[in-house]
Amino acid sequence: MSDEKHDKSFEQITKRVFDESVAALDAATRSRLTLARHRALEELKSPRRGWQWTLAPVGVGTLAAAALVVWFTIGQAPPAPEDLQETSLNDLELLLAEEDLEMLDEELDFYGWLEEQPEFVSADDSVG
Amino acid sequence: MTGLALTIARQEMGLDGEGALDTGAAIEAFLKDVERRAYRIALMGVRDRDEALDIVQDAMIRLVRRYAHRPSVEWPPLFFRILQNRIRDMQRRRTVRSRVLSFFGGTASEEEFDPIAEAPAPRSENPLEQVQADDAMQALERALESLPARQREAFTLRNFEGLDVAQTAVAMDCTEGSVKTHYSRAVHRLREMLASHGEEPWK
Repeated sequence: MSDEKHDKSFEQITKRVFDESVAALDAATRSRLTLARHRALEELKSPRRGWQWTLAPVGVGTLAAAALVVWFTIGQAPPAPEDLQETSLNDLELLLAEEDLEMLDEELDFYGWLEEQPEFVSADDSVG
Repeated sequence: MTGLALTIARQEMGLDGEGALDTGAAIEAFLKDVERRAYRIALMGVRDRDEALDIVQDAMIRLVRRYAHRPSVEWPPLFFRILQNRIRDMQRRRTVRSRVLSFFGGTASEEEFDPIAEAPAPRSENPLEQVQADDAMQALERALESLPARQREAFTLRNFEGLDVAQTAVAMDCTEGSVKTHYSRAVHRLREMLASHGEEPWK
């Protein structure tokens, strides 16, 4: 058998072995996967999709400004200009990293949800 | 945008007419189709059932939240790209956790994989066949673990998930040429390793 045919045959075997292990998943795991899917599909009903990303740059800017204020007010000795430039860039890079944006996304989700709560609305109304 | 241009754009995004109404049903069908394979792939990556389930749920949520409006042909590479990123995140977090534990004099032994605790409930009507199938899968998993990460990813996406070269390139965020190289090397190395296993179905 040629090398290519060997490879094809081997690929078919690995696929079959994998598929059998998938088919043999226990009922509890299958049930939890179904729940996970339904939880994910709830996202389609969420009315807040989209707007949070328009606010994300504002939030990141605020965080970056706050980080710079803290840096300049709490720091003991002023660092050398080249060090400052490098460190500030590192901080900005950290703040703009994907994980931070995702954290912000979740926070905004939370505030959106909070705003919809009846207690919050009535408390807000009573102030004015 | 003119009415015609808007219609074309909506058609390209799969949002025309009934298409928009069907998005929910279409993405549900897609998730239902991939969820078990995705779980098995995640389990191979993190070797913890709860963490694997969390990773799959997270990938599903992110796909629906961010990419439900995209044409359905784009979902498979996007979903598996998110899944692979989540698996890598979990592996990195574990590495950091074990470093912190060792710094404070502890060990990561509690975090290690416990095959008895992690074993799924028995489910086959033929225990012997099930044992053979489990052995074959364990041998395959061990061989996959010894591959470099990119080769393992290419093999998982192409062979287990059935993505084509272009889709795999999107999922792995690399060129199609790299996918072909990683995949070919993975097949050859796996074949060599599993041939030495000496048991069905690898001999």
